[in-house]
Amino acid sequence: MSAILDIRNLSIELETENGPVRVLDRFNLQLAEGEIHTLVGESGSGKSLLAKAILGFINPRWKITADRLWWRHYDLLALNAAQRRIVTGRDMAMIFQDPSSYLDPNDKVGAQLRESIPTGELSGVYLKRRVDRQTRAERLLHRVGIKDTADVMERYPHELSEGLAQKISIAMAIAHNPKLLIADEPTTAMEPSTRGQIYRLLAKLSAGQGMSILMITQDLTAVIPESQRISLIYCGQLMETGPTEEVMQKPYHPYTDAMLSMSLSDQDIAPKTRLPTLSGAIPTLQHMPIGCRLGPRCPYARRACIHQPALTKQQQVQFACHYPLHKDSEHD
Amino acid sequence: MIRYTLRRLILLFVTLWLLTLFLFALNYFFPGDALTNMTGVRANDALAYQRLVSERSFDSSLFSQYLAFLGHFISGDWGQSLSTQRDVFTDLLPLLGATLELSVLAMALAMAIGAPLGLYAAGQQRGSMDRVVMGLSLSAYSIPVFWLAQLFILFFAVKLGWTPISGQVNPLFDIDVQSGSILLDILLSNSPYKGAALADAINHLWLPVIVLAIMPATMLIRITRNSMLEVLQQNYIRSARARGLSETRILLRHALPNAMQPVVRQLGLMFSILMSNIIVTEVIFNWPGVGSWLVKSIYERDYPVMQGGLFAIAALILLVNVAVELFHAWRYPQVRKELYAER
Ligand code: SF4
Repeated sequence: MSAILDIRNLSIELETENGPVRVLDRFNLQLAEGEIHTLVGESGSGKSLLAKAILGFINPRWKITADRLWWRHYDLLALNAAQRRIVTGRDMAMIFQDPSSYLDPNDKVGAQLRESIPTGELSGVYLKRRVDRQTRAERLLHRVGIKDTADVMERYPHELSEGLAQKISIAMAIAHNPKLLIADEPTTAMEPSTRGQIYRLLAKLSAGQGMSILMITQDLTAVIPESQRISLIYCGQLMETGPTEEVMQKPYHPYTDAMLSMSLSDQDIAPKTRLPTLSGAIPTLQHMPIGCRLGPRCPYARRACIHQPALTKQQQVQFACHYPLHKDSEHD
Repeated sequence: MIRYTLRRLILLFVTLWLLTLFLFALNYFFPGDALTNMTGVRANDALAYQRLVSERSFDSSLFSQYLAFLGHFISGDWGQSLSTQRDVFTDLLPLLGATLELSVLAMALAMAIGAPLGLYAAGQQRGSMDRVVMGLSLSAYSIPVFWLAQLFILFFAVKLGWTPISGQVNPLFDIDVQSGSILLDILLSNSPYKGAALADAINHLWLPVIVLAIMPATMLIRITRNSMLEVLQQNYIRSARARGLSETRILLRHALPNAMQPVVRQLGLMFSILMSNIIVTEVIFNWPGVGSWLVKSIYERDYPVMQGGLFAIAALILLVNVAVELFHAWRYPQVRKELYAER
């Protein structure tokens, strides 16, 4: 697999009053060009932190270590802040939940859209550049499926629905043709039909121009069929990763299994409630269990679980568990 | 926006109407004869008094008395002063001009000082200059204006002798009162010494203007700083940075307009505070404005003048507040949604 984003054993430590806490613990992620990869984790699992680490929104107090944090042929950890800003600014973009808060409430949509078009790509004198900008902005709106461009451009962000605001965020994000788009729970609090629209749009953009997408979601119900691969993260540790089909059909990891049965049994469960099949609650930062962090809640936990399990590879799937739910007969 | 404007205007008129009710009632609560309190004509001037009794419906019910009062009030017949026998309404206009001049200049000065200092403090957040600016503004905010005014007079006028102690302009210049605003009047006059008069007027002006500007300026510093800091935390600023916009563009185009929004919203409140300070300041500086006029009328129990002064100041505060609110809603369309959830 030729990964354009290659993360090996990435750890992030935060300094707290009770000493350092590892919020991301030896995390692995490989992303191929044009691939949609879904990262599933509950709130506080460190998934947003991972996105920040990739994009370089780094607090200087964090301690970041990794065997590899490569983007294409750049070793991101070896670049200084300015170089990193150039690389990520050129190649990456991010969209978020609550998209309207990422738009200036006092500025018309059109103006913000025009502003996001990189000046370097325009040519000619002032007036020509202005016209150019306008046509490019219109084209961006067309690409995200907005037909009535004149109307939308004249609106203020508070006059947009969340779905429309997210489409505009996407339009702004793809203005400089990024190679990686990180979508952090892009459809939270949206109606199912809008949700579907946004997902279809993202899938189309990915297929159409080979843009890789790292989709971050809360649970397995939001995993779209176009997502080729999927990773599950719990308390900063990678639980299981592999092709979406295989992981969902036949999970090796108890956590995947629990998430799956949750998404099947109760589709509309409110966020942050207790998992129906895992007892206990997500541990707080100060009380991270040693070894496998799922340990205290895992029905299969045994003594060996106080040591962190290494990643085991079974065909395409990798998982971190001492006692997987099944063993692959051909390989074991 | 039209709906919002209408609502504001209706509210304005209702408040003004309630104010007339209050003024009308005052005439009966003040000691003495209600008709005299209202018109400034004493009962011993029998001829005029008798005419007023019928004109003001004092031979009829309380309700028709109010209607008559309202009619006269709207047509600008606010009675005459008990002490000078001069018409209240004609006296009021130039006084209002003088007060407006003082308040507009003070407000402008406060903005010119307060907003940039607030932005500067925000830029130096938690640095030593931030602490200095915020400390100074808090101490200046806590100084009562009557004390500050006297301190300034003592220091700048008496001790240093830089400026006259009181008044608008040296009476030797013999400037006709037209608008009441001294600077305007000098420009409108045909005095041969315009330049000298202007310099003298400014020499009289700057001290009261500074005294008045200090309170709103300190408020502006704090509001501007805090709102700027809050805006800089917002997602749209961070995402603008992530998209690689230049820092100048982010500040001028996105941060500043948003940061000024709460500042604009507070301008009405600041003006109200300024007006209460202006009354005291006018008395201390012997400034011929509505404030000192009102205070003098209270000493002299000159009820018609008192009513006129009260109404003028209250109406001015109301008008400015409504104007600020309308401007705010017009400039910041997203607040209209917050107000009425309209689309
Ligand atoms: S390693 Fe142990 S505790 Fe962790 S998931 Fe596997 S069985 Fe459960």
